[in-house]
Amino acid sequence: MNPVVSDETLHAFVDGELDVAESEALIARIRDDKDLAQRVCVLRSLQSMVRLAYAEPPVAAGRQPGATSRRQFMQRCAYGCLVLVAGLSGGWALRGLEPQAVATVPAVVAGGFQPVSLARVTDPNRVILHLDSAAPDKMQSVLDQAERLLDEAEQQGRAMQLEVIANSRGIDLLRAGVSPHAARMARMKQRHANLHWVACGQSIARFANEGEKIVLLPATQTAPTAIGEIVTRLQQGWTYVRV
Amino acid sequence: MNHSPRLTHMTLISRFLFGPFRSGIEAQRPLLYRIAYAWCHDPALADDLVQEALSKAWARRAQLRDEAALKGWMVSIMNHCWLDHLRSWRDFDDIDDLYDELESGVEAPDACCNRREVIACVRAAVARLPLGQRQVLTLVDLEEFGYAEVAGILDIPVGTVMSRLSRARASLKVLLDPAAQQPAARTLLRSVK
Repeated sequence: MNPVVSDETLHAFVDGELDVAESEALIARIRDDKDLAQRVCVLRSLQSMVRLAYAEPPVAAGRQPGATSRRQFMQRCAYGCLVLVAGLSGGWALRGLEPQAVATVPAVVAGGFQPVSLARVTDPNRVILHLDSAAPDKMQSVLDQAERLLDEAEQQGRAMQLEVIANSRGIDLLRAGVSPHAARMARMKQRHANLHWVACGQSIARFANEGEKIVLLPATQTAPTAIGEIVTRLQQGWTYVRV
Repeated sequence: MNHSPRLTHMTLISRFLFGPFRSGIEAQRPLLYRIAYAWCHDPALADDLVQEALSKAWARRAQLRDEAALKGWMVSIMNHCWLDHLRSWRDFDDIDDLYDELESGVEAPDACCNRREVIACVRAAVARLPLGQRQVLTLVDLEEFGYAEVAGILDIPVGTVMSRLSRARASLKVLLDPAAQQPAARTLLRSVK
């Protein structure tokens, strides 16, 4: 009843060239027909032998890979020089802007902290404060700074976004039952909707591994890593201050 | 379809600056080398072919509209390089004759036992195939090109692709199947005895 399946059809089947209906019909026949199954098997093994044979073709002997890429190397040098020249001339052209940019963030600079920003003009309205130790004076200082920045912004009518990110032992500031400033922080958060407490997920995981039970204060967010969060914010034009 | 406008702009800018996907072209090198080696079984020649194909592809990059077709396009360029090479190598007027008769100079496969021998055997068997069949077989089996793509790359009808593939696999089966070879040898020995 069924005509003999041609080699061409079997090849097309093995190479995935048949459409779904055709393949299904053929698979059904292969199930019942041992000879057909054998033919498919031989084809498949031929195919895998050919693949195996050329999986790692021998490399041309006596040709150093370095020699062929000499031109590439020269091109890369040329690109490098281009970038260097662009950078130098860009820097020279922008030299006048520098003092102006710094002048826009006197509030952050005060207190001896060095602000960092990737943006050409630092944005005083988006600030990320970074705490990485549990020293009482540092905890105190991060809260003082946050409050001062937010209050100033409020007085001047600016909408300010502020994030306090804690990692390493700095996490203690954000831990319920451990933080010495829990009440003050809750008050601050209530007053300023745009203030966020962020804990580093990696640090939490590390302390949890060491057997510490980490319970964060309510309204604390977690970021996968502090570094990742800081870099993301910097890229978004935020100003970064390490306390 | 779903490209964000920003992405499209970036692509346009990088196209303007560097041409389309220089790195994309360069990334095809291992693939091209594998195919070239399977065609000619000569590492030095394969290396030359790949180098030539890469530089031609770079020079003609503006001709390629569809990035998805990059792989096939480059193999097709290499095919032309290979044909040019064959033309210059032997003064063939009719390349079609060449397709059916040319075998690369590798000895016949013998019995295959371990992995390294299997590899050597298969290479020898593939090398004995006529050029046209060898090209189709390697494109389909090594890089999983569809029949239509192979037809486009080698500039032949799909029917030819299928018949060449069919003949190539039939000969490979005979060349590689010890059962198909050894009985003949054995009976020969017996008759001598």
